Amino acid sequence: MRHRFNLLLILFAIAGMALAACGAPAAPAEQPAATQPPAAQEQPAAAAPTEAPTPAEAAAPVSADALPRKETLYYNGFQWGPVVGWNPYSNSNNNGMAISQGDNARVTMFETPYLYNMLDGKQYPLLADGDWAWNEDRTEITFKLKPAARWSDGTPVTAEDVAYTWATHVKYETATGAANKDYIETVEAVDPQTVVIKAKLDENGRAVNPLIVQAYLSSVYVVQKAWTQKLEERSGGDATKLMADPAEDVVYSGPYGKFFADDTKVVLVRNDNYWGQDPSMWGKLPPPKYLAHVIFKDNAAGTTALMAGEVDVSQQFNSNVQDLWEKYNLPISTYLPDPPYHIGASLPTAFYNLKAHGLDQLCIRKAIAIAVDYPAIIANAMTNQSATFEQVPRSLMNPTPFEQAMYNREAVKHLQWVGNDIEGAKKLLDECGVVDTDGDGWREYNGQKLSYVATCPNGWSDWQAAIEIVAAAGKQIGIDITTNFPEWSVYQTVVTKSDTPLPPGYEIFMMWSAGAGPTQPWGRIRNLLSSEWIGLPSNWSGNWGQYSNPEVDELLKLIPHETDEAKLKEMYTRLVEIYLTDVPSFTLMYRPQNFHTVNESVWTNFPHQGDGTNPPVPPLNLIDGWGIAGLYNITLVEP
Amino acid sequence: MKGYTKYFLNKLGWFAITFVFAFILNFTLPRLMPGDPVAAIVARQAQGISNPTGVQAIYQQYTELFGTDRPIVEQFFIYVRNVFRGDFGFSFSQYPRTVAEVIGASIGWTLILQFPAIIVGWILGNVLGAMAAYLRGGFDKVLMPAALFLSSFPAFGMAVILLVIFAVYLKWFPTSGGYGYTLIPSLTPTFLWSAFIHYQLPFWSIVLIAIGGQAIGMRSMSIYELNADYVKFARFMGIKDDKIVAYVFRNAMLPQVTGLALALGTMVGGALIAEIVFSYPGLGTTLLNGVMGQDYPLISAATLIITFMVLTANFVLEILYGVIDPRIKAAQSD
Repeated sequence: MRHRFNLLLILFAIAGMALAACGAPAAPAEQPAATQPPAAQEQPAAAAPTEAPTPAEAAAPVSADALPRKETLYYNGFQWGPVVGWNPYSNSNNNGMAISQGDNARVTMFETPYLYNMLDGKQYPLLADGDWAWNEDRTEITFKLKPAARWSDGTPVTAEDVAYTWATHVKYETATGAANKDYIETVEAVDPQTVVIKAKLDENGRAVNPLIVQAYLSSVYVVQKAWTQKLEERSGGDATKLMADPAEDVVYSGPYGKFFADDTKVVLVRNDNYWGQDPSMWGKLPPPKYLAHVIFKDNAAGTTALMAGEVDVSQQFNSNVQDLWEKYNLPISTYLPDPPYHIGASLPTAFYNLKAHGLDQLCIRKAIAIAVDYPAIIANAMTNQSATFEQVPRSLMNPTPFEQAMYNREAVKHLQWVGNDIEGAKKLLDECGVVDTDGDGWREYNGQKLSYVATCPNGWSDWQAAIEIVAAAGKQIGIDITTNFPEWSVYQTVVTKSDTPLPPGYEIFMMWSAGAGPTQPWGRIRNLLSSEWIGLPSNWSGNWGQYSNPEVDELLKLIPHETDEAKLKEMYTRLVEIYLTDVPSFTLMYRPQNFHTVNESVWTNFPHQGDGTNPPVPPLNLIDGWGIAGLYNITLVEP
Repeated sequence: MKGYTKYFLNKLGWFAITFVFAFILNFTLPRLMPGDPVAAIVARQAQGISNPTGVQAIYQQYTELFGTDRPIVEQFFIYVRNVFRGDFGFSFSQYPRTVAEVIGASIGWTLILQFPAIIVGWILGNVLGAMAAYLRGGFDKVLMPAALFLSSFPAFGMAVILLVIFAVYLKWFPTSGGYGYTLIPSLTPTFLWSAFIHYQLPFWSIVLIAIGGQAIGMRSMSIYELNADYVKFARFMGIKDDKIVAYVFRNAMLPQVTGLALALGTMVGGALIAEIVFSYPGLGTTLLNGVMGQDYPLISAATLIITFMVLTANFVLEILYGVIDPRIKAAQSD
């Protein structure tokens, strides 16, 4: 009914305008520009009564119509469109400041039992009290909850809440439920403080995948049982309705709750009764009273605001970030003072369509890969905000110290190319008989000219720059590579369809890889190389070039069960060896988990490399995983 | 009045027929784009899901929810039924928001920015153009090149120039947003002043370009009319200049009114540049994101609004023409 009313209003407004416009000539000059705007501007505020400030429950009453600068931490790069909801059971709320479950879960509003730290690969307790523990058979994980943990309505966080959250995810087949139900049997409350997670067992009585069960502890929010029941009641048991509920009344346990959201910004306000000020956790409240995020339309607008000091923490790609302090002398910095400025976490990758003519041949794949000018990609596409392959030699690991220690670098050193090896590539092609037989300047394989299209989505400028450089490498070694950039909506439909061979035009294409997380590097390698993704009509996991190697599949099955670190290292080294030998795809650059650039005009003491924090606070913008520890360290420049 | 009734009914009939065809096209064209919108939603949902069957289940669920697996004819009739109930359904790109919520939240900004800007640009342009034609001499020599210069500017060029000069260098105006980054919307003087200040650059970036085009058109029309026989005749008759000028401008105005109606119709698309350059909220970028995300319901609803605006503006215009210019009615109703 309301919708119809809205629509009528809109139509009337339009019709009225059209009429007014046509009547306008009768009375020209009576509408000087200056009198128009103020009257007109009243409308947005009045027209959106539903989005008026709604102070969060349990927060101190707030009536601010302006956020005090010294009490507000401003962000960019997390929110690119209006927030559509506050529902922790849904993945589609587009609520970048409050909801992001996963490897480095965002814990501003909702909290996970543990916090993952991508720098040391460990999980630290948040809602949980002390470390978790496997039972002897590695089939059950037990952990305790902190007695101090409270919901925003003042009631304690109990094991019952943890269990009910899981049950709800399974019952309503949420994304979290679907992702974990093959690995987790049940989550049970032994007593109000004790939780037991029982893993799903395979035919041998072992946990199907202990790694994924461990990851659950730091990637899935605990939601209040009482509120969940309220939600279930109003959605009448309908899964779609439950997940589509905007959950404005949600009860949360984190330090911040909703203050305001409209098409232009989103603001969280601190819950001054937050349980974490208990000595058993942080011992104090985080200094900023508000976390605010203005919705910018593009990176350029976000960078301008960062330079103007209207943004304190920037999670977006700021091109040539070093100019901000070197050229403009602004108090802006990144986690590392020098290139690559950030800690890389994921490996944007060029995939080969292994069924395309000639790309089934190792020597052709390898020749293209070693000919690519990676320093140019890193300098142009990433403006040096990626480690080079001299700094971090290519493997399957991201540049975090934790993952770099997972394989034996010496053993695969002879396989790690750094690129720009045109002569080497030509020699390789000549040796395997892929030569130019008809004198047209292009090489042939089986009598057919080698001609490929390299592609990535249109508008992804860093990827496009990288793909252009791949194509240029082809031309230098006598392989005709052209580029094509379809829209993302088309591109993703084609690339994720793994139940058929890729169509022409997708011989070399770019996709992402997983970042840092508690299942890594295993999860990333599985995504890149496992043959289990082949045949899926909608494959959002990986191996889009459809590579298949039984030895890899076997190793991927063994790793989650292996606890001996030496053996793990051996297996990971073998996987790297296979990857660099077979070249089914190749890493083009390193990309940080989050960009993390800070402006210290108002706030200071942000995490930087070597800042002396122990455990080290990762550069995750003070809100993700163990990164939130940094939020408690920041101080005002001028208190 | 019989002639006019016939003229009116004739126009109304054409309005209805055009609307029906436009309605069908609004529904069909977005759905003919290659690609699968549900896959995009699944992409968001599937981030971090390591279980393939889980992803398939999510895909299935959304395909059924949005009905994208049904035949397009069936989808059309469901759409028609829902539209008549005022229900445009869920937006794909901003799910679980409905299309009505998405448009409702952004259309206000677009109307407030574009409507006054188009009207002001139109009025200023026409007044200046008419003055140039009438005064000639130095005024015309300055105005004409200036108007040509302004009207040939691409919209984004104008917006970026204003941004760099007045916001980045002179710092007279803010660089982005609809209101101060520290503010929460409220009916306080601080907020209203902030909104007013933020309004200026996007507003003038549209107005300046509009002025140029309108002035050129109006100047040519006026010069043509000023040299018409009836003007000379009126002068010989000794009719006062004021009276003659009024006749002249009424005649010269007709094509300009058509231009205004069309400009109002394309309001939504026209706001896009100003919205992007100044990060100003509004329907333009909402629609652009909808197109990028293959948000069929949002695209259909937004284009339906645009269609409705253009058609209504034209319809009202034609009806008014009948009143303003009896020749048209006479010609049409024969």
